[in-house]
Amino acid sequence: MIPRRWLQNARVGYSAFVMTLRMNAPDAFVLFTILVQPLLIAVMAMWMLVDRGAANALYVVIGSGMTGLWSTLLFMGGNSINWERWTGTLELMVGQPTPVSVIVFGKNAAVVFQSLLSMVGSYAVAAVLFHQSLVIEQPLLFAISLALTTVAFVSFGLVIAPMFLLSPAVQHFQNAMEFPIYMLCGFLFPIALLPGWTTPISYLLAPYWAARALHGTSTGGASLPEVLSEWGMMLLLSAIYLAVSGRLTVLMLNRARADASLRLE
Amino acid sequence: MDLQAAIDVRNLRRVYKTTIGVFRRKVKEVVAVEDISFSVAPGELFGLLGPNGAGKTTTVKMLTTLLIPTGGSARVLGRDVVREADAIRGLIGFIFGGERGLYWRLSGQDNLRYFASLYHVEPQVSRKRIPYLLELVGLADRGKEKVEGYSRGMMQRLHIARTLIHDPQILFLDEPTIGLDPVGARELRLVIRDLQAEKKTILLTTHYMFEADSLCQRVAVINKGRIIALDTPEALKSHVSDLAVVEMDVFGMAPDVLERLRNLPFVDTVSVENVDQRQSLRVQTRRGSEAVPDLMNVLSGLRVGRVVVREPTLEDAYVRLVGGAE
Repeated sequence: MIPRRWLQNARVGYSAFVMTLRMNAPDAFVLFTILVQPLLIAVMAMWMLVDRGAANALYVVIGSGMTGLWSTLLFMGGNSINWERWTGTLELMVGQPTPVSVIVFGKNAAVVFQSLLSMVGSYAVAAVLFHQSLVIEQPLLFAISLALTTVAFVSFGLVIAPMFLLSPAVQHFQNAMEFPIYMLCGFLFPIALLPGWTTPISYLLAPYWAARALHGTSTGGASLPEVLSEWGMMLLLSAIYLAVSGRLTVLMLNRARADASLRLE
Repeated sequence: MDLQAAIDVRNLRRVYKTTIGVFRRKVKEVVAVEDISFSVAPGELFGLLGPNGAGKTTTVKMLTTLLIPTGGSARVLGRDVVREADAIRGLIGFIFGGERGLYWRLSGQDNLRYFASLYHVEPQVSRKRIPYLLELVGLADRGKEKVEGYSRGMMQRLHIARTLIHDPQILFLDEPTIGLDPVGARELRLVIRDLQAEKKTILLTTHYMFEADSLCQRVAVINKGRIIALDTPEALKSHVSDLAVVEMDVFGMAPDVLERLRNLPFVDTVSVENVDQRQSLRVQTRRGSEAVPDLMNVLSGLRVGRVVVREPTLEDAYVRLVGGAE
């Protein structure tokens, strides 16, 4: 028997998901980060790698799609609480009985779901503009990896959102956080090309394991044990992110209630 | 501590801290609410009346769990607003004046549907309740339109519907009619009266005296963070029952003339409101219409328009109370 409170929270998460999809649909900035920016990256990378075969093309498609996923999450998911403050709805969000992190989860899930379109767009660029024949080598494993990637990104976004509200200083670095994650997570090239000291940082980022799983299963270069370990790391880090973000959100909201910063006057 | 009260406030205090300066930053403390106490009975419509910056909104935010008090305590439906905030939130509803606080890209109906889910209203209940509430606030024919196309009054009415979506036991209405045109404000007051008839406990803040007079069973007058009077509107009016009010429209009155009016022995208080080119004077006096010739003497040489002598209202009691506290 599922506890009643869980069902109620699941319903709230779903409502936040649907509401965010509706709100974002006509947003030009969302369309830019989901479609235009990843396509630009895909076109440039394809030009560089077009002669090196379909496996590289697939790497570019997945990688540029993931850049769209991360950029959208960083700007839309990261601001999901702050945005409520800017529009004057944060007080309503805090003053209702559902934990705020449940709402943010639903909102981030919508953002990540929408940004999966980035991969479709990149795929179309590779297939149509560059005449690449792209075949996913391990479709079942790829589909599971994609589902877990969604969970990993949503959880990662849950940690960012309260940090941006807790400290405006952190938000000033928002733009600067976009490219380092592309590189540290190996979206567009393997992290083996980076200095060795960055590798432990990559290991702590669930999107890195997501990129590995998606790249490996799409090109067929990964064995089952490797893929299983990548899934395990995604789930483990997602669970840690969820636990940390739940505590961080409560902390942040209590601080905002104490220093009267739930509303911008 | 009043255990039977819907809202019980004891020595509540709130201080805001702001920083001044760039290099040598200093922390400045602003006392918004200073040691206030009151209680509201179940089913009562209680008014918190005061000028801008008096501490009304700060008080409401502490009672709705959105702001942590600096001192004192407050209980809503027997629960502490700091320690038991989660338990209170599902039982109360609140609105703050203004256009913000709605999702403009969604329709009015979708806004209500979203808030219904946040408050765990069962879908089969909200399916019936949303049309009912849209009808109640006069938005039945506009509910499917996006909120960005609503007028200010429509948004304010949608706020009322939003705060009723989970059928709360207590409503906190913070200046709900602010910025509304007279017709919109009157319609909203009718809705509030209907809610009162349903025995909802309501805490209403306003700086419109007639609103408090016509709606509230008891009124607390708050000024500079302190409650300076708390009684029924009739009892508050009795503070000025021995006075009459002379209203006069004057053009181009200098400050020294105002001072001379204030110094007249039979004048209790004088308030001035600048309206376009004219100054609207309100003189409280025990001599009633007999005071008019003496007042006109002081104003000799000035153009004087309308002169009216009338009975005092709650607003006059408020002017006396707030004026006396300064």
